[in-house]
Amino acid sequence: MRVNAVELKDIHAGYGFEVLKGLTLSIPSGSLFGIFGPNGAGKSTLLKVIGGLLVPDSGHLFVLERKVSSEADRYWLKRNIGYLAQIQSTNQLPITVEDTVLLGRWGRFFYGMKRPNMTDYLRVEETLALVGMVEFRKRDWRSLSGGQRQRVALARALVRDPHILLMDEPTTYLDQKAQDELIELITRLQSQLQITSIVVTHQLQSGWQFSQSWQINHGLISRCCVD
Amino acid sequence: MIEWLEPLQIPIIRNSLIGLMLAGGMFSLLGVVVISLNLTGLRFTLMHVGLLGAAVGISLGISPTTGAFILIIIISGLLGTIGDRLQLSVNSLSGLFMTGSLAVAFLILARSGVPAMEVFGIFAGSILFLTTVDLVVIASLGLLILSVFFFGFREIQLTLVDKDLAKSLGVPVGLIHLIIFLLLGSAVAFALKLVGALLVDSVLLLPAMAALPLTSGLKSALFLTSLFGMLSSTSGFLLALRFDLPVGASVAVSGTGILLLSLLVQRRNRK
Repeated sequence: MRVNAVELKDIHAGYGFEVLKGLTLSIPSGSLFGIFGPNGAGKSTLLKVIGGLLVPDSGHLFVLERKVSSEADRYWLKRNIGYLAQIQSTNQLPITVEDTVLLGRWGRFFYGMKRPNMTDYLRVEETLALVGMVEFRKRDWRSLSGGQRQRVALARALVRDPHILLMDEPTTYLDQKAQDELIELITRLQSQLQITSIVVTHQLQSGWQFSQSWQINHGLISRCCVD
Repeated sequence: MIEWLEPLQIPIIRNSLIGLMLAGGMFSLLGVVVISLNLTGLRFTLMHVGLLGAAVGISLGISPTTGAFILIIIISGLLGTIGDRLQLSVNSLSGLFMTGSLAVAFLILARSGVPAMEVFGIFAGSILFLTTVDLVVIASLGLLILSVFFFGFREIQLTLVDKDLAKSLGVPVGLIHLIIFLLLGSAVAFALKLVGALLVDSVLLLPAMAALPLTSGLKSALFLTSLFGMLSSTSGFLLALRFDLPVGASVAVSGTGILLLSLLVQRRNRK
């Protein structure tokens, strides 16, 4: 029987005002799970709760069958999650593609005085190969196109060998061709690696092949009709 | 010895050169953070806070530099702490503190009869009054900055690359911000004494501005920034000695020259 990677039970959460209003949801292990909704519907708040970045006001969160309630649980959660956000275009820091991806292993394989070792660099190279960016590894991240930056960011999320991959509007600000390529890449890698992947996006785009799609609005969630 | 270099035999002149070289080589590293986090407005705020500190210092009977130093450290710590909690950008808070500090400074000047020129004196810098204790403090602060970059390299890199990503991975972003702001406040306070408020950028920003576009990684950016910082402060000081010019302005001219060269190299690389 397939277990649930994530279970939310009657979650209330917000930032002084309520955004998620009693949300209950089960996300099967190994699925590509889509959540749609307009801006301000509560999509990012939901991802923050699942990722341990926002403590719910009430309700229960279970991830990989572990109840997440304490600070130690949330620390464990962060170690097991990969995160892909919207494309970032304002960063002025010089950083090689290899270093960008290497940072994805922080907290799980190295931190503080424990420096990255040969295994870390080998995993970076393998993951860059997965997303088709290995030949760019010594390039400055700032010199990449939007689509290439998102591929590198996807590699950074995958390189920490996450059990769950959270993606917050990953195709926003990309041109149509880059959007299609990224959706195809995420779908292919999810099928290949079988990582539970949760995508939130404000509009339903063609190309996604979700196991389940749900719609969120005003902090409440309902099954979407387009599976 | 070359005639125009002879003043270097005088301890206070030598101290000034050493102080500038240390600051140029190590304080400048913070410029990489300032530019990457888009905090360029912050150092301007801290200068205004320094003006208020100087006014408070004089009205309390302590030296304006000490007053400026203390208040700058307090406000930089405050800015590093409350920004995230209040969900306000540092630049918004900087605007608030900049205007507020200037307003209160003028009120103090008006009510207490403190001579304005004495307060504005902190804008000019007083590099030739560096004591051995000042040098030790500058060297210690520089070493502290180096240590923070050495021991927290990946954590700082993650915070600079993407603050939200860093938080999602569990990096103590708030603590890193606080440490960086406190170091920046201390560096601005000392740079005020070295080159004066109007030329703080020559120590803190120009080297990083020249180095960042020429490098493709953080390590090389830090190395080149430090090199440019030391080069501009040393050459600026020697320029001042050779042609009997104000030190702060000469350092700024050297820094600007290096930045211009960097722009030329960038332009050539693009072709």
